[in-house]
Amino acid sequence: MFQLLNTILIGITAGAIYSLMAISIVLVWRSTRVINFAQAGMALLSTYFGYEAMVHFNSFWIALPVAMVGGAGIAALIELVFMRLLVKRSSTGPMAAVAPIIATLGLLGLIKGIISSIWGGADVRLVGPVTNVGYSIGDKTLAFSPLKLLTLCTVVALMLLLTVLFQKSNIGLSLRASAYSPEIARLSGVKVDFVRTLGWSLAGAAGAVAGMFQTVNGNGAFSPESIEFALLLISGFIAAVIGGLESLVGAVVGGLVLGLVISFVLMYISSSLFFIAPFVILLIILFVRPQGILGVKAARRA
Amino acid sequence: MHKFKSSHHLGFFIIFGFILFLTGNRVDELRVYQGASIAVYVVAISSIILLTGYSGQVSLGHGALLAIGAYSAAVARNNFHAPVVLTFVIAVLAAALGGALLGAAAARLSGPYLAGTTLALAIGLPSLANQFPIFGGEQGVFFDVGFPPPSLGEGFTQYKWFFWIAGLAALISIWLVANILRSRYGRNWRAGRSNETAAALAGISVSRSKILAFTISAGVAGLAGALLSMTIGTVSPSAFPLALSFSLLTGAVLSGVSTLSGVMIGAVTLVAIPEIADAVATRIGVSERFTTNLPGLMVSTLLILTVLFVPNGPVEQHRTRQARKAAKEKN
Repeated sequence: MFQLLNTILIGITAGAIYSLMAISIVLVWRSTRVINFAQAGMALLSTYFGYEAMVHFNSFWIALPVAMVGGAGIAALIELVFMRLLVKRSSTGPMAAVAPIIATLGLLGLIKGIISSIWGGADVRLVGPVTNVGYSIGDKTLAFSPLKLLTLCTVVALMLLLTVLFQKSNIGLSLRASAYSPEIARLSGVKVDFVRTLGWSLAGAAGAVAGMFQTVNGNGAFSPESIEFALLLISGFIAAVIGGLESLVGAVVGGLVLGLVISFVLMYISSSLFFIAPFVILLIILFVRPQGILGVKAARRA
Repeated sequence: MHKFKSSHHLGFFIIFGFILFLTGNRVDELRVYQGASIAVYVVAISSIILLTGYSGQVSLGHGALLAIGAYSAAVARNNFHAPVVLTFVIAVLAAALGGALLGAAAARLSGPYLAGTTLALAIGLPSLANQFPIFGGEQGVFFDVGFPPPSLGEGFTQYKWFFWIAGLAALISIWLVANILRSRYGRNWRAGRSNETAAALAGISVSRSKILAFTISAGVAGLAGALLSMTIGTVSPSAFPLALSFSLLTGAVLSGVSTLSGVMIGAVTLVAIPEIADAVATRIGVSERFTTNLPGLMVSTLLILTVLFVPNGPVEQHRTRQARKAAKEKN
């Protein structure tokens, strides 16, 4: 019983971080119809920014905004310099469908290489603002700490903020309009190019939060070669697909589902299935419900 | 079954192979080893070209298929004492089986979905080796093709033997892939890639043809995996990192994904990059940190630049330019 509770708690916290990655994948997908496989790399780079801020100011609450601004800046830069050129140069020919995927992979490699060149592949170590020692019931320690509570609250707050932005504000309206139909949006006076850059920056900021919390929650180690990074790389995509790629709520649900399933597999089946479990979940989802849990049928072929 | 119409191609390949084998006697050991690596990459890249360039399916997880081939070859060799030739056949068959299963899933997926799924496979599959003791966990298992036969003479080194095996395998697989691509199946793949609906209306079973492409591509990839582990001597999860899948894809893009004839460009570049990076780093004398990462940086930069500026590869680019020039002269 106690083990079951712990498994669920571990799953939910890990899932919250996957949700953030999924949110950033969804934001980019909605704004440019590109799956950004470099998202985890961008998150990692922002985390290194946060780490530098942490070294200088020794405060998590300064490091987090620094990472977010840094992440948003990198994402905007990539969209402005790189994605626009890509869309212009390779939108015809046999490579048209494949080029964006390969290009974001190239970006991932480039970002990883840059990080390793600057920081030498050293693990990032960050100390959270609150303790990561679990709450205890009687003489047993729960796998749930103030830090994990903070992680959950941050994810929920961020999701609410983004939902309000999308549903209630003018910017959100133009974001939705250009995702729905760039051509019609442009005719109605929406600055589609600007909106795309904005979508990317929001994604970059969300990814930065994921990276920061992944680092403080894990054993402190986060580097281009670490297991955590590889997991973040695929889990964001898988969670986004589970959620249907289109909706933010779906991304959060997908992240939580993924986190829980991985946690249960690790606890009750075998810890060496760590990496194959997400793949199996992805296959099952794609076979049973290819449009995702909250997706709409037609969205998949877009 | 479609009949191959390429006897003169076969002659060309035999002459080309003969020249390669002759040069093998002239250069030093390191070059011979690099020649073997180039041959391995040629096999691997041609499998990606077949899949991505012709049938339009992206696989970011070819490393996993290489791993299937390598592990099955090693298990056949170590646990069942199969002869060397048979181990390569087993590698092809095992990987093709895996590819057929993956292809059945892939035929239902489009673009980014397929890319993400194969990416998850590339990360997940090698770690399965820790699950079964027969695969030897993190350390992996040995894969030894044995010494070169004594009849080849005293001075015939192990590396030269690798080069001969890999070179022969590369010639055979290029010849096969080239012929398949020009056969009915190749045309079906291209039709399906260009327009699925039109291909289906023309009587092509698009999903079956996609699965077939995945199966054949996986078989070729399995051969590449067995060859790769032959040159390394062992099979372990760390031999098939995500970086391998990425560099193979880079090789394919550099070669021009939609033309098989450029395959050497990609293979030679992949083998040359570490050496070029090393030379550059010594010349400008940068820190060790930067030096170790330079090959990776160069691969990624090349990948991005190619996708941006010659998305269809140098060979195709050249061909288009020639065609344009010819059209202008006609007018």
